Amino acid sequence: MSAPLVPNLFNVCEVLTLAIVWIVDQILYGLASVIPPLTGLAQWFDPAYRDRLLLTPLAAEPLIIVITWLIAVTVIVIWATLFNLLTMMWVERKFYSRLQDRYGIMISIWSLPFWPFNRTRRPTHRGTGYLQNIADGVKLLQKENITPRNADSAMFHISPVLIASSTLMIFAALPWSSGFYVANLDLGILFIFAAFSLAPLGILISGWSANNKYTLVGGLRAAAMLMAYAIPMILCVIALVFYTGSLNPLTIVRQQERTLVSLGPIGIPAWYIFSPQILGFIVFSVSMMAEMERVPFDIPEAEGELVEGWTTEYSGMRFGLVFGFKWLRMIAGAALITILYLGGWSGPVFTTLYVGGVPVPIVPEEAWFLLKVYLVSVVFIWISWSVPRVRIDQILNIGWRKLIPYSLATILIAAGSIAWGVWAVG
Amino acid sequence: MDVDWELIAFLILSAFEVIGSILVVVNKRMVRAAFWLAMTLVTIGVIYLLFLSEFVFLIQILVYAGAVPVLFVFGIMLTRRKIMDEPPTEAAP
Repeated sequence: MSAPLVPNLFNVCEVLTLAIVWIVDQILYGLASVIPPLTGLAQWFDPAYRDRLLLTPLAAEPLIIVITWLIAVTVIVIWATLFNLLTMMWVERKFYSRLQDRYGIMISIWSLPFWPFNRTRRPTHRGTGYLQNIADGVKLLQKENITPRNADSAMFHISPVLIASSTLMIFAALPWSSGFYVANLDLGILFIFAAFSLAPLGILISGWSANNKYTLVGGLRAAAMLMAYAIPMILCVIALVFYTGSLNPLTIVRQQERTLVSLGPIGIPAWYIFSPQILGFIVFSVSMMAEMERVPFDIPEAEGELVEGWTTEYSGMRFGLVFGFKWLRMIAGAALITILYLGGWSGPVFTTLYVGGVPVPIVPEEAWFLLKVYLVSVVFIWISWSVPRVRIDQILNIGWRKLIPYSLATILIAAGSIAWGVWAVG
Repeated sequence: MDVDWELIAFLILSAFEVIGSILVVVNKRMVRAAFWLAMTLVTIGVIYLLFLSEFVFLIQILVYAGAVPVLFVFGIMLTRRKIMDEPPTEAAP
């Protein structure tokens, strides 16, 4: 069993908070030598002084606990957006460029205007292109924020907030390993679905409030599609609950860590994709692609018919938010598929090193989880750049007449396999 | 000093809820009324969370905040003849 790199996010953040408080305390002591009334405040933050006064330790103060929680949430949000979102956009842009037989983005670090080394001999556009997304983000931040005439201004500006905040809410309950999470909820999977289901209202309001026929049609299509494809997803999870008996992501992953059957030296793990739930896995993945508005299901922003769908009238960083957060939803969807069907962060066992008594895993759980999430995302990107867009009547046919009956069939299969003992409940 | 934080949270949430539900009735624009309805339903859900019933809270968010306002907005958009504010085609005298 591989170990997590972050054993407990809250404890790690507590160490960080106490370090920050110590630095602030030294500054306060320095100020107190000039302004004497600050001495009491500085002593309140001083662990040694609190010991002498028999006060509660600093880590047990409600103020410090609140700051620690805020830092933990910030760490997860920065991890999700600044690392995973940018990396996923870079992976997609490079990958579809390769599918189209070209190089894609190639900005190198030498093109930074303040890069201090010799720039004359270095190629500026023969790098890996990772900085291109940051450059695009800076460009969007500089642009003017335009509100269309006759638009409902308050609604127009509140809907990107709705979409972005509900997408970030997913990451409050999404664990990245058995230690790297903010909240361990008993109903974590249900919480993630609740956060997913808030977006259609924001999309519909943004489509209506821009007072443009293209955004209105795009918003209507998006809301109809998201609502329709959330049903098979939830039905598939209901089928999976027959096996897991729990909606806690940590429990679901722990059940998949055992070995199902050994074929010589290779042990097949008991992931739910190898159970009779393979049909549920397919239905869940297809619905998740629709939920992310990726290309076979990107009828809400069909470029040929609607200019850019419901994001047409947004400009500047608001466009960046509603556009970029689609990748964040894709990461969340891939992580959900990984947790439910692909064994989460369980991977082959490697030894752990002991550095000064502290166990350091060679390949930590976070690495396995990221590997699976990125593989699932790359498969999504591969599909979406290889197939044409389906029409709106075909989308409704696929959703209501194919996926929902199949997901009901997965419930029957799950109930039957449990009743006849085909699959031992872990 | 003993502060009843639960009572304060309950009072703030119920104030939001009452204001939201008044705005649902008073508002002239139907889509805005649907938005305030969504806010009212979310605050009711958070009050459920305050009573430590996590499951009812999540179902409230999933069904009432996620689906019911969208249904209302669909109904509004499909029944009204004119949903967008169109600029006047000729200049007013």
